[in-house]
Amino acid sequence: MSNQNVKSLDVSAKTVDEAIEQGLAQLQLRRDQVDIEVIKEGKRGVFGIGAEDAVVRLTPRSRPSAEQAEQKAPPQPPADNQPAEAPPATTPVEEVARRHLGALLRYMGIKAEIKVKSAPELVEGNEEAPLVLDITGRDLGILIGRQSQTLRALQYILRLMVSKEMGSWQPVIVDVESYRIRRHQSLRRLAERMAERAVANKRRVVLEAMPAYERRIIHLALKDHPAVYTKSVGSDENRKVTIIPK
Amino acid sequence: MGDLKELTLQMARAVVNNPDAVRVEEVEGASMIVLELSVAPEDMGRIIGKDGRVANAMRTLLRTSAAKDGKRVNLEII
Repeated sequence: MSNQNVKSLDVSAKTVDEAIEQGLAQLQLRRDQVDIEVIKEGKRGVFGIGAEDAVVRLTPRSRPSAEQAEQKAPPQPPADNQPAEAPPATTPVEEVARRHLGALLRYMGIKAEIKVKSAPELVEGNEEAPLVLDITGRDLGILIGRQSQTLRALQYILRLMVSKEMGSWQPVIVDVESYRIRRHQSLRRLAERMAERAVANKRRVVLEAMPAYERRIIHLALKDHPAVYTKSVGSDENRKVTIIPK
Repeated sequence: MGDLKELTLQMARAVVNNPDAVRVEEVEGASMIVLELSVAPEDMGRIIGKDGRVANAMRTLLRTSAAKDGKRVNLEII
């Protein structure tokens, strides 16, 4: 994998127009913010025989807009044989993550947009706000899956891809239609409610099985609670948070 | 329509140390697609991952993608 194409993006699709649309969606730029070069026109073929995908190269123009310029690293000056700056160090994680996630979704046959944001809602205390890639579009429930299994797989694979290219571990977060943020908030409310119930009934409350990071949210939500403490019981897929009155 | 073979290649190449040695063969049946993935011997551990985590994540994404077209998929690492 190379970092050569940080300044431009090659996209292939059935038609030139489709490829341009997909590329613009990935870059989150408008048509007038990029230079478009058609590398292959693509062929329709006969009954799919001899069909060839169209390939276009999109190169963001140096001054896209004030808003975009804020989010993206400034364009690099032309390389003047200056060995001092190694390309991987200057490649922004955001661009790499967006490119890989865009490729994964495309090969999964999913049409969607990727929005990059930081999500202070998702962190506890003074942890650094992570980079979140939020996938938006229609009918994306399949991207979440049972117990958010698919979403977690997508995030795990993307982290491997991005970290490999960047040369260091990159804990980027993948979200679908802000599912994680909504889930985070509802888990915190659930924790409060169940803690009240545990105290009122003087009995422990066992929550449904959850993946590790969701259990963590419950544990953290109640860690300073005056009247209950929490513990996870069970193993693997069946591990459940238990809220116990003190 | 997704491209399961390309999806497998992309994921596998990003995990291994020898991306050029990654091979994927796709065998498509009526309702079942079999993907045979091979990597350099020294990359076997990386492609499977601790407790099969990498391989399982790849399977989950392949399954999701195939299910959209009403198909099942079987990823075999050989």
